[in-house]
Amino acid sequence: MTLELLQGSVAITRAALAADCKFFAGYPMSPFTPLLEAMSREMADASGVCINAESEIEGANMALGASAAGFRAATGSCGQGIALMQETIAEAALNETPLVVFNMARNQQDYYQCTRGGGWGDYRTITLAPKDITEAVEHTQLLFHLADKHRAPVILYGDDLLAKTLVGVDVAPLDLPELPAKDWALDGSASGTGSSRQVWTFAMGKKNDPGPGPDGQWRRVAAKFAEIEQVEARHETVHAEDAETLVVAFGSAAKFAEYVVEELREEGHRVGLFRPITLWPFPGAALAEATRGVERVLVFELNAGQMIDDVRQWAHDRDTIRFIGGVSIDESGLAFGPLLDAPVIRERILAEHAEHAEPAAAVPTARS
Amino acid sequence: MSPTSTTGPRGREHALMVSGIGGQGIQLLAKTLAQALTAQGRYAMLGAEYGGEMRGGPTQATVVVGDAPLRALPIVPRADAAILMHDRFSENTLARLAAGGLTLVNSSVAPEEFLADREHVVRVPATVLAREAGAAQAGGFAMLGAYCALTGAAGHDELVATMTALLPPYRRQHAEGNARALEAGAAHVTSVPTAAGALT
Repeated sequence: MTLELLQGSVAITRAALAADCKFFAGYPMSPFTPLLEAMSREMADASGVCINAESEIEGANMALGASAAGFRAATGSCGQGIALMQETIAEAALNETPLVVFNMARNQQDYYQCTRGGGWGDYRTITLAPKDITEAVEHTQLLFHLADKHRAPVILYGDDLLAKTLVGVDVAPLDLPELPAKDWALDGSASGTGSSRQVWTFAMGKKNDPGPGPDGQWRRVAAKFAEIEQVEARHETVHAEDAETLVVAFGSAAKFAEYVVEELREEGHRVGLFRPITLWPFPGAALAEATRGVERVLVFELNAGQMIDDVRQWAHDRDTIRFIGGVSIDESGLAFGPLLDAPVIRERILAEHAEHAEPAAAVPTARS
Repeated sequence: MSPTSTTGPRGREHALMVSGIGGQGIQLLAKTLAQALTAQGRYAMLGAEYGGEMRGGPTQATVVVGDAPLRALPIVPRADAAILMHDRFSENTLARLAAGGLTLVNSSVAPEEFLADREHVVRVPATVLAREAGAAQAGGFAMLGAYCALTGAAGHDELVATMTALLPPYRRQHAEGNARALEAGAAHVTSVPTAAGALT
């Protein structure tokens, strides 16, 4: 293994190339810009194409077109730019075109955006939220696989720290199962044969080859996402088995929470961590199991409370849930604010844990 | 002083924070160190924070090193050592610096009373040393040379090779001056007695 000191954006780019990504298009917006820059530097040497599009909408649709032609393709931005791409993402979901979308987000306020659909129609986007750059390298490769496997748009939920921090990494290709040939791709091979292919959201087909139509197509797509929900949920637990207090956090915030949990464990506190690795599908059944024996569930996310909706839906006892996160943005508006810091998180966890851990010192009035 | 680790609950990792004013070469010195450590086959991380300005604003960098995959956070809660290129914008670094952590102060710009009560402070007139070495812009490298001579983090030749490789082609003419600054910083601290021991 040879370690190379790489900026997160470069490591993700190398991972995309290791996954045979051949096309990337996007429009600069901080903190996504370093990823676009890295793609533009490295894509050509990998026989690929990177285009600095004129807008996010254009970039997303270029990537959709490249993917419809059978190439692994991706686009990206931060949540603000991905808001503009929602029509494309919805079309990709409903006409079943693989598409990898990198959200190098400014904070964690895009949880709803990436887990609730976002455009129109009945679909969701598989979203992986790596906790650090090493994991982002794996997730990037896995996402290209999942996009092809399910013929669906997928999202990497990154952030400013993942985009800009430099770490020693070894970008090794992941060993993933082989996928069937793309017999749906618009590669021109069937032109003039009378059975040329279509990628069409309404799936009406042609006179000599009728499709299922919108009703049939959208029922099928909805059923597909229901199936994905059953099989693609991923999570990680740290010291959850005997925890009195279980912290739930995702992405970089989970890395910080894990650090604090390890520190508190060494001091004898029975705290644990539950980390959704996929934000959608949310690992609900696993959370229900992990929260069965705990006294309190602390939700830490850098927003006003978005993932907490999913935690409320799945936790064993909703009355045990407390929110310890919050909106925290730095003065530029482009990155995390002071809440993403181990001492601050430690204080918030201990405020809930210690108060309840010692019954003699407990405040008589119940917390809401 | 025995090696310490305060960067993580598990594993021995060492964190250095560097702060000062944008334009003092802070990002480049930190990147040079992180790159040199990586070239040694060690696990390194470089966290950088700087304001919108290229020059004049607060700037800060963190270099973490270890011999196993790092557990350190990209924003470290505690640092084992610090390089303060200026007394300005040093508050965040000092707030995180472990008690007794090696602290290098650029005494060419910081007033004499700055950190006078703190232990394990090594004053390096980095800006003056660099100017005397004929490389006025290389104060950061003088400080890096001093830090590496004190801690043994990287040897002079390693630093020169890494620094040279990091310079873009249009700045290659600075390589020799930077190398002299690295050497001047190292010579300064090896010629003065210090309580600071190897930390890496």
